[in-house]
Formats: sequence, C-alpha cells, structure tokens
Amino acid sequence: MLSQCLAIARREFFFIWRDKDLRYILLFGPLLGLLIFYGTYSHQVLKDIPTAIADLDRSRASQELVKNIRGAENLKITAYPESYDELEDLIKKGTVVAGVVIPENYGKDLSLSRQTRVEMIVDGSNMIYATNATSAMLSVSHTLSAQTGVKTLVARGIAPAQAAAAYQSAEFREEAWFNPTLNYAYFVVLALALNIWQQCCTLTACMTIVGETGAASWYQFKSLGISRLRLFISKSAAQIITFMAVALPVFFLAFAVFKLPLRCGFLLFFLFSLAFATALHSVGTLASSIAWDPVNAARFGMIIALPSFLVSGYTYPLESMPGCLQIIAKILPQTWYFQGINLLAFKDPGWAFMSQYFLAFLIIAAVCYTVSAVIVARRT
Amino acid sequence: MKQILYITYYETIHIFKDKILLVLIFFVPLLYAFFFGAVYSQGILTGIPLAVVDLDHSALSREVIKSFENSPRFSIVQDITTYPLLEEGMRKSVIRAGVVIPENFARDADLNRGTEILTVYDGSNLIWGYNIRKYTLEVVNQFNTGHASSYMAGLGLTKKEITNILDTLSTNIDVWYNPTFSYTSYMLYGLIMLVIHQICLLSASLTVTREKEKNCWIQFLSSPLPAWKIFLGKSLPYFLTGFFNYVLLIWFITRFVQIKIEGSVFLMALLGLLYTVVIISAGFYISLKAKNSLQATRFIMLLSVPLLMVSGYTWPQTHIPAFINNFASLIPFTWMAEGFRNIAVKDLGAGCLTPVILALSLMSITAVLLAVSFAKRKNRPMKIFNDHF
Repeated sequence: MLSQCLAIARREFFFIWRDKDLRYILLFGPLLGLLIFYGTYSHQVLKDIPTAIADLDRSRASQELVKNIRGAENLKITAYPESYDELEDLIKKGTVVAGVVIPENYGKDLSLSRQTRVEMIVDGSNMIYATNATSAMLSVSHTLSAQTGVKTLVARGIAPAQAAAAYQSAEFREEAWFNPTLNYAYFVVLALALNIWQQCCTLTACMTIVGETGAASWYQFKSLGISRLRLFISKSAAQIITFMAVALPVFFLAFAVFKLPLRCGFLLFFLFSLAFATALHSVGTLASSIAWDPVNAARFGMIIALPSFLVSGYTYPLESMPGCLQIIAKILPQTWYFQGINLLAFKDPGWAFMSQYFLAFLIIAAVCYTVSAVIVARRT
Repeated sequence: MKQILYITYYETIHIFKDKILLVLIFFVPLLYAFFFGAVYSQGILTGIPLAVVDLDHSALSREVIKSFENSPRFSIVQDITTYPLLEEGMRKSVIRAGVVIPENFARDADLNRGTEILTVYDGSNLIWGYNIRKYTLEVVNQFNTGHASSYMAGLGLTKKEITNILDTLSTNIDVWYNPTFSYTSYMLYGLIMLVIHQICLLSASLTVTREKEKNCWIQFLSSPLPAWKIFLGKSLPYFLTGFFNYVLLIWFITRFVQIKIEGSVFLMALLGLLYTVVIISAGFYISLKAKNSLQATRFIMLLSVPLLMVSGYTWPQTHIPAFINNFASLIPFTWMAEGFRNIAVKDLGAGCLTPVILALSLMSITAVLLAVSFAKRKNRPMKIFNDHF
C-alpha cells in the first residue's frame, strides 16, 4: 500500500515539474515577490517627509521658527516657497506633502504678545504620509505653543519657574511595542511575499481533481482499481510537500538574509505554515472539484485567493469591517494565516493561544475535503 | 466595418457561451467593488481598544484618564489594570494601546521631579500604530492645554487673559483632500482601478488562446482580413464591457460607499478610455503570445498584488528605489491610479494631469501597435505536422 502511495506521490511531483508554467510559478513566484517587496520597502521607515515652509515674515523670530521646524522628527524641508499660492501649487502637484505658512508680522505680533496663527497644511490624499506628517506637525505645534506660552507669561510678570510649570503638567513618553522603529518593511514584506506564495499554491491545488478527471489517465486509474482515497491522499501529500518546499527559500531569505523579525521559534512558524498549506490545499481542491476544466478551476481559486489578503485584516483591521464581512473573512484560511503570522512574527503569544488558529485550519480542511469528496463521488 | 462587426458578434457569442467568463466580466467587478467598499466602509479607525494602568489614583491621573475617555478614537478596556495584564493584552492583540501612569505621579509632577506617563501602542500593525500615535498626540496636546489653562487660573489670571495667552501663537493643522483621514478615500480608487485592470486583461487575454485551443485561429490567419480588423473586431466587446465596468464601478462606489469624488467628468472619461484601450490591447497581445488559456490565466492572476505595491499608490514613490519606480512607470496602473486620485480627490485640472494623459496615450499607441503587428503567416506544414503528431 505504501509503495503505491509513494508511486502516486512520485508521479504527482513529476507532473508538477513537467507543467512548465506551474514549475516557474512555484519556483520563482514567491521568491520574486519577496525580492520585489523588499526592494519596494527598502527605505523601511517613513522619514524625511517632503515639507515646504512659506516664511511670509522673514523676521528673526520667523527664522527661529523655521529652525525649529527643520529639527522636527520625520520632516525634511525641501522647498521654501515665496507665497501661499506657490505652496498650494507644490502640495497640489505632490512635490511636498506638508507645508507651514508663517504669516506676515509674525515676529512683530509675538513681541507685542498679539495673537498670531501659524498655518500647517498636510496633504491627506496618501494616508501613510498624512498620519506621519500630522504626528510630526502635532509635536511641533505642542513645542511651539509651550515655548510661546512661557515667554508670554514671563512677559506678564509671572516668575519663570511658575510659567514653565504651567506648561509642564505631565511629560508623555511614547513607546511602540513589538516594532519600536515603526519599520514598515517588517510589517508588510513577509506577509506580501507569503500572499504571493498562497496564490501560487492555490493555482497548484486547483489542479488536484480537474487535472486528473479531465485527462485520459483518469480511465487508467479507474480501470486499475486504485482506491480514490489513497490516490487523493498521495496526490495531496505530494502537493503540500511541494508548497512547503517552495516556502523554505522564502523563509530563509526573509529571516536569515533580510533579518525580518520572527519572535516565535521557527518550528512553530513552520508547523503553522504547514497547517495553513493543508487548509489552503483543501480550498483549492474544492475549487478543482467544482470546475469542469483547469482554466475555470484556476479562476475559481483565484477569485477567492486574490481579495483574501485585503479581507484578512492584515493591513486594515478586521475589527473595523462590518460584522457580516468579518464572518466571511473567518471562513477563509488566509484570514487566520495572516493574522497568525503577524502574532508569531512580532508577539509570540505561545502554543496555547495559537491552538485556536490550528483548530480553524483543521475545521476548514475537514469541511472542504469532505465537500470535495462528495462532489467527486457524484460526478465520477 | 461590416467585417469588424461580424467578428465582434462572433466574439460576443463566445462570451455568452462561456458562463464563467460572463460572470467574470459582468458580475465579479461589481462583487469586488462591493467587498472592497464594505472592507473600508467605516473609513476611519475609531474605538481603538486602550488600557489604562493607573498606579497613582490621584486627581491628576484621573484627569489624564478623562482626556483619553473623552476622545472618540479610543475605547477604554476596563478589566486591564496592571502592567503584566497590559503586556499580555498587547501580546494577544486584545488591546492596541496603553497608558501607564506611575506611582506618585501627581506628587512628583507638583514638585517638578521629572515624572512621565508612558503611552504604548502596537507597532506590529502600522495602520494601528500610525493612527494611535497621531490620536495620542492629539489627546496629549489637548490635556496640556487644559492643564495650562487651569494652572493659569490658579495664578489669578482671568478667563480672557488665559485665552489670550493660549492663543498668542495658535497652530492650525489643516488636512487637505482627506480631512477625516478616511481609508475609503485613500484606498478604494486604487483598488477599483486594479479590478478594472485585472478583469480587462484577463478577459482579453483569452480571446486568441481560445481560438488556438479550438484550432480556429488558423481561419483568422488564412482569411483575407487585415490584422487590425481582426484585432478590432475581437477586442471591441472587451473594450466596451471594460469601459462600461469602469463607469459602473465609479457610479457604484460614489452612490453606495459615499466616497468623496470631485473633478472633471471629461478627464475621468478620457483616462478611463485610454486605460481600457491600453489594457485590452495588451491583453490581446498576451493572448497572441500565450500557449493556452491556462497559461494566460495563471500569470495574469498573480500580477495584482505586485502591481499595487510597486505603483507607489500606498507606500510613497519618494521612498521606493529609483529602479523600481522606473519599472513601475512602464505599467499603466501606476499612472492611472495616481491620475484618478488626483482628479477625484484633489480636483486637479488637465494641466497637472498632462504627464498622466501623455503616458497613457503613449502606452495605448504602443499596445495597439503590438497587438496589430501579428504576422498573418501560417505555420509551415512540417511544423503543424510535428505539433500534432
């Protein structure tokens, strides 16, 4: 029995290798994905946000303010427009993302303790830029207000210590846990590469049944009297081993070469990926059992696989999606996988906590394989 | 003209006969638009689970907590009250942010002993991370202003004087184009353009492979029709459905997702027209070169994520290496996504969009030339013989 299973598995490996497109997709797809994404996010941290300062006052006080803004975290002053219109144009064209307008008579108003307003503009069309630019602006704004407030109080005859105390209510220190440098590459590169990997695996899994029933060899199998269960298990095992084999170089590059974070042990990560590969294979098998030819099987599989990353809540949080969509998302193995790899890469919550994720994969695989078996039994 | 329409009719019959293709062209784009619209329907991150570990229990610490409670962005999780629980909650993603007020905080603050409140946030998901950081800074600024105001009142200053001092230098942060920081406005346009890209490319890429698989392509090759007529006749249904989907999805998201859309309708139509021409032509060219429908389907399906990521639509182009930017500039999606955002969100005119219009026009001409340049030469008999036997 074992030799028969091994023979079928060997045949499956040979079939995957012989299918040139599939071979290239599996061998190079995830690796190429990892390299492209690592290259794209090679800056890693969003610093040096292009900022313009329109100093309409050109006084000593305004020069001091420019100096302060220049020192602000994450902002890089790339332009000094002469007028508000020029600044507006720079933001419109996307040359700069943030702008500061220091009004006319700024220095004079400050020295006379008259009210003055510094305008800070942020281009909100790209949220990654906008949230970071706004945070930087908020920090600058806080420092400026405090400095000016203390000066004004002192000018009104309040003791310097008391004036300072008014603006030193509480010091707030911020800490980003799990990813202290807010490294964007750490956040997305591995997940995006594994997203390509899961798409490549789906394309392969979509051939499990339709690849056989659509071919003349199916009649040979039928006439040989090989048990369908044995045939299916052997084929599936060969495919899942292939999935893991193509994932290993991706893991090696990601963790050993690119030094992407992995807080948990590699064994847990590997087993977690293996459990996912099995669940994913079951979904691909289901698509394969419904379809009547390989092209349609690929279409069915990819209709699910393509939006799954977005719906998984890896980037935009699942909690912020409507309830019905959260339920649909939880039916997909991708949701559990991408949520899980985030936990494993950054937090390592332990085996006990991750057991629910393994259970989800088990249930998905059991349901999809059973339904596929029923469909195949009815068709053939 | 009649010949072109005959081929168009023939191709349309094929679309209607292939049920899955029919669904792919007429139903899947809308389904994806619905899904993506639903994903970003809330648009703004609110109700962020936050834990407060108050080790001081003073009036000042309660004031700090109140500031976070009053923020519509945070939702305080009551049962996490110690630092170990905070750590565990963060590790299991039950909470995404925390505030730790140290012991003797109020006393040390009074004596200017240099005490500080720790604010922590989850950096493992930077959508959470960036937003929490911004929201925390807003709360902190508000708290400090409130505290400065009460301190000055304690010094005997009148309300008017306090307001004057606080407003001596006011800084107003004005967020243009997306003042509510809505993820819907940020992401949805790009995703819709990607859906159009993939559906158009996939459907057009099967037009010749299908003929090859049925051994019918030879009929086209041996017919006296020029290559451009074959291309036009076979592509016309995909071009029409592609443009129809473009208009439909824009209408759908503006009508049902309540996304902000501004700008010139003419410019949108022009970009849509160029975009569909370049993709359909590229799809036809791929179909000419592909061995079979399965090959075309497999490779095209895998393009979606890399296209979106390298385009600079999400992660800014200024922070992407030049060689990737150069590569991305050869892809129509890169231009279209940015161009459409500039019209719909920024309301830019034709002047600012000239580079986008030029790039898409150039790509359209190149793609059409490639698509119509196939040789109407049949394989040599020996080659056909070898292929078949």
